[in-house]
Amino acid sequence: MAVYSLRRILWESYPILVLCAVISLSAGLILDSQMGSIKAFPLILVMVPPINGINNNVCSILGARLASALHMGTVEPKLGKQKVLRKNTRATWLMSIGVFWFTSAIFFGMALITGMGLSRSIMLMFAFFAASMVAIAVTMGCTIGLAFLSYIRGLDPDNVVIPIVTSIGDVMGVTCLIIAIKIVMGV
Amino acid sequence: MGVAMPRELSVKTIVIQGLAILLLCAIIEIFAGNVLERMKEQLAVTLPGLILAIPPLLDLRGNINGALASRLGTALNTGVIEPKLSMSAELKVNIISSMILSFLASATIGLLAVGVGTLFGITSINVLGIVTIAIIAGVVSGIILAAITVVVAIFAYVRGWDPDNVTAPLMATIGDFLTMISIFLVAILVV
Repeated sequence: MAVYSLRRILWESYPILVLCAVISLSAGLILDSQMGSIKAFPLILVMVPPINGINNNVCSILGARLASALHMGTVEPKLGKQKVLRKNTRATWLMSIGVFWFTSAIFFGMALITGMGLSRSIMLMFAFFAASMVAIAVTMGCTIGLAFLSYIRGLDPDNVVIPIVTSIGDVMGVTCLIIAIKIVMGV
Repeated sequence: MGVAMPRELSVKTIVIQGLAILLLCAIIEIFAGNVLERMKEQLAVTLPGLILAIPPLLDLRGNINGALASRLGTALNTGVIEPKLSMSAELKVNIISSMILSFLASATIGLLAVGVGTLFGITSINVLGIVTIAIIAGVVSGIILAAITVVVAIFAYVRGWDPDNVTAPLMATIGDFLTMISIFLVAILVV
């Protein structure tokens, strides 16, 4: 007996992928509406794939870990004091802080090399870091909520939770990035 | 996923394992960002509306290949797929389904971008250009990525890497980079 059915994979995945495309399109719309700022400050474009990609990776890891923990019974689908859930969220926070500091430092270096000046380069580094922290906090909250919901409803986290979380992550990433750059860099 | 492996649950272990792969991903994402920045002329002038399709296309690649990597990881752990590079029926179904999904979903994204762009009054939107770029970039990066995913999933299994923590993020990131390159090349060649 075949374990995988082509029809089943397609039938289960396509509607979710379209839903995700619609959510991610709003991230595209936000970028398009800010074309003026992007022209004035093209470094925003360099920052879009990193903030979205890292945010999505961190939350995908959390989502996958929570799905496994829920199936093993070490995490229960309720909010409140739970040791394993707390350890997982703390680990996710520490990882995000580490990787986003690293990325912010690279942007600082890039800004400095392209002649932005020391003080503006430092401001840019903090803008990116602040944007990424707000984006990751919201996306992490959505990940925990959706992981619980999918477990209660019996949906496959690989095919449902992670795609939706990464699309929400795109919108959060782009929104926080644009707001932070506008406030801090004044473009 | 869902394989009941006893995992060491120390915050330190998770962070050290996760950070190593995330730092690598961060560097690849910055390269992807540089490719996007090089397209600023096309995005602003020659291909208005293309930017709408970029977040969904990047996201799509991560979703399809992250799920493929995850499914292969589970299949390898449960012995459904053998860790060698031969085309079994199960492997074939997984690869073909990700190809078909790439085509269908990329085409849908192209059409949605055009529809939403028209709705929000983005002028001189190049319908044929955007749909063509979405489909070609989606399918080309999909074919390359599916091959890389199979190799990485098998390599990761043999090495004992966790598919949830290592393979899926790595594939999503390589996917972002390859998709950006594909969009860039197709945009230059087509328009």
